[in-house]
Amino acid sequence: MNTKATAIGLVAALSLMVTACSSNNSTDAPASGKQVGEGGAASPKEVTVKIGLPGGYDITSKQIITNFQAKYPHIKLDIEETPWADFVTKIVTRIAGNNAPDLWLQENAVVLGYGKRGVAENLEPYITRDLKTDEYVSALTSAELDGKIYGIPHGINPGALAFNKRIFEDHNVPLPTDDWTFNDMIEAAKKLTKDTNGDGKPDIFGFQTGNNITLGWLPWMRAYGGSALDATLTKSNFTDPKSIQGLTAWADTINKLKISPTREAATTGKFFENGKAAMTFFQYATQVSLNKNKPDLDWDTVMMPKGMDGKRFVPMVVNQWVLYSKSKPEVKEAAWTFLKYYLSDEGQNLLSESGTSLPVKKTALAELEKSTTKPLNKKAFTKGIEEAGGTLDENPSWNEWRAAAGPILNDIMDGKRTPEDGAKEIQQKVQQVLDDNK
Amino acid sequence: MRKQGLWGFAFTLPFVLQLLIFFLFPFVFSLYLTFAKWDLFNPTQWIGLRNWDQLLHQKVFWLSLRNVGFFAVLFVPLQTMAALFLAYLLNQQLRGKSLFRLVFFLPVITPWVAGGMIWLWIYNHEYGLLNWILQSIGIQPVDWIRSGNWWLVIGSIAVVNIWKGAGYSMVLILAGMQNISKEMLEAARMDGANGWTLFSKITVPIVSPMVYMVMILSTISAFHAFDVFLVMLGDVISVADRNMVPNILIYRDSFLNFKMGSASAMAWGLFLIILIITIFQKVTEKRWVHYE
Repeated sequence: MNTKATAIGLVAALSLMVTACSSNNSTDAPASGKQVGEGGAASPKEVTVKIGLPGGYDITSKQIITNFQAKYPHIKLDIEETPWADFVTKIVTRIAGNNAPDLWLQENAVVLGYGKRGVAENLEPYITRDLKTDEYVSALTSAELDGKIYGIPHGINPGALAFNKRIFEDHNVPLPTDDWTFNDMIEAAKKLTKDTNGDGKPDIFGFQTGNNITLGWLPWMRAYGGSALDATLTKSNFTDPKSIQGLTAWADTINKLKISPTREAATTGKFFENGKAAMTFFQYATQVSLNKNKPDLDWDTVMMPKGMDGKRFVPMVVNQWVLYSKSKPEVKEAAWTFLKYYLSDEGQNLLSESGTSLPVKKTALAELEKSTTKPLNKKAFTKGIEEAGGTLDENPSWNEWRAAAGPILNDIMDGKRTPEDGAKEIQQKVQQVLDDNK
Repeated sequence: MRKQGLWGFAFTLPFVLQLLIFFLFPFVFSLYLTFAKWDLFNPTQWIGLRNWDQLLHQKVFWLSLRNVGFFAVLFVPLQTMAALFLAYLLNQQLRGKSLFRLVFFLPVITPWVAGGMIWLWIYNHEYGLLNWILQSIGIQPVDWIRSGNWWLVIGSIAVVNIWKGAGYSMVLILAGMQNISKEMLEAARMDGANGWTLFSKITVPIVSPMVYMVMILSTISAFHAFDVFLVMLGDVISVADRNMVPNILIYRDSFLNFKMGSASAMAWGLFLIILIITIFQKVTEKRWVHYE
């Protein structure tokens, strides 16, 4: 073997490795004609769709996959089950390496970022071609950015006010209703906070305050008429007096009124689950673990309370199915066939039964309201999103500005900083992120 | 001879390829990225010295260097002393020596998640073991991990890292101690050396190359610390600027904010700092490390 042969060998080995790492990709637009699996006498061509399932079958009903496979045997679904945290770390490098799955699900805000960067396929032409949008709630198009739609909802995960019936009844306090305001909730929480063993510390809290954007500070800011960003989602709104009022009321539940456990205690305490908190803001998906871990807990839900101006805000997290823009055209069509099945009555009812999120199809939502599992009052969620469902001021830089604000919000919640002082720093940091990402 | 040489190349080829692809290429590419803008998805864009300029003016980067410097100043000497002390004790004729070695080595193989949970409980402000002890002797509880004082938070985390790392360093030093000849120690005893003299004049000088290695490795690992901060401070987006360390900042910029250029500049900045400290340690090595 001479030097030339060695060099050729090296180049060949490298080429093989590079080829193995890439895939035959295309950025073609959706086909307007015949779709995979439809029409024609000839047996349809076999296609494999690689699907990334963060959270595995705990989040996506296995029955949906099984039923789809039975219905469309020529479309093979190659499922990659991964824990959520591992998936979101790996997907970035997989996209960078041109080795992403054809279809996967992630948070709406991240999906908008993918759309802006050309990773996610624009699904607007597919929706226009194949779906009757009036059969779905408005969240169907929640991944919209500049007239393009970059995702199909995997499901909606709204918030509601959950309450422990027994604690209310034991203290003769009337149960919450859909007409409650934030003030009603706070007043009831004051009555329900009790030091039962006389050690000077409450053992039962009236409310458990959340520390995240979904169930924590944003609903409180909205209740007082404030918001994180302005309507254009390009300006920070943290120093708006109404936003500061909301942050103050939020932090006061722990530091001034002492109706809620601290952030540190709540991290490990599971107060509501253990019957030590009378109320909490509650995300729909949490019912699965709560019903599994505490089947005897006597609890139910009402809609999120109304704000100071009488308006309600129901925080809504929407995870989206993303179609990889560089998949082959026939794979994109096959993946869309799966999404159409997912959005069908059968797919949406299976999603409802799993309890992990609300469907987006109106017929499936109506069916869900008849369900007898806890919480009985599913309308707190279904009617809640219909009346006042709103996403979390999501834009393509959502992750980044949230990371800039998060630690300061934690300090406000812990009572280490005043809301006015903290909001000033958040305003500057968040605006910087927004400007950098223009 | 020539044929033998070719076979040598062939057998080393997998290692060389791995070195080229997974070490040299990322090394050079990340240097290029310090002068570029890259969001991982779209082509890179040359921006000259902008990343470096931003880095030098980024307050949180300097805070992160202050924190990791403080962390290293606490962690390196304390861990080395703890490892030396434990190794010396376990080198004595003790009953159940193997059991003690196992006990002191256990934290090394304990996953960070499990170890972190235990320490979070120990440090818990309201229900933690440490504050319970303090309160039982009349001292006010301390907010170890969520304090507004960065030095308290970083110091508390350094203690956790010592707990996790001392066992490994102990094994390295113990290996050195077991090489000390019994004849030498016996001769010293016959000349009237007491326990302290044996330790300070014979044991320490002989194991000094091991101690030196432990210090180099601990310094590098202190500047690389990531898991311990992540576990103790919550997720990446919850870390306040005052408690920031460079690796969390690099991770946040690269994989959360998709700013590979500025993240690479930070990584290179950190590399240069570690290099300078390691060179300093190498220069001072001759003053106290004894090679046989």
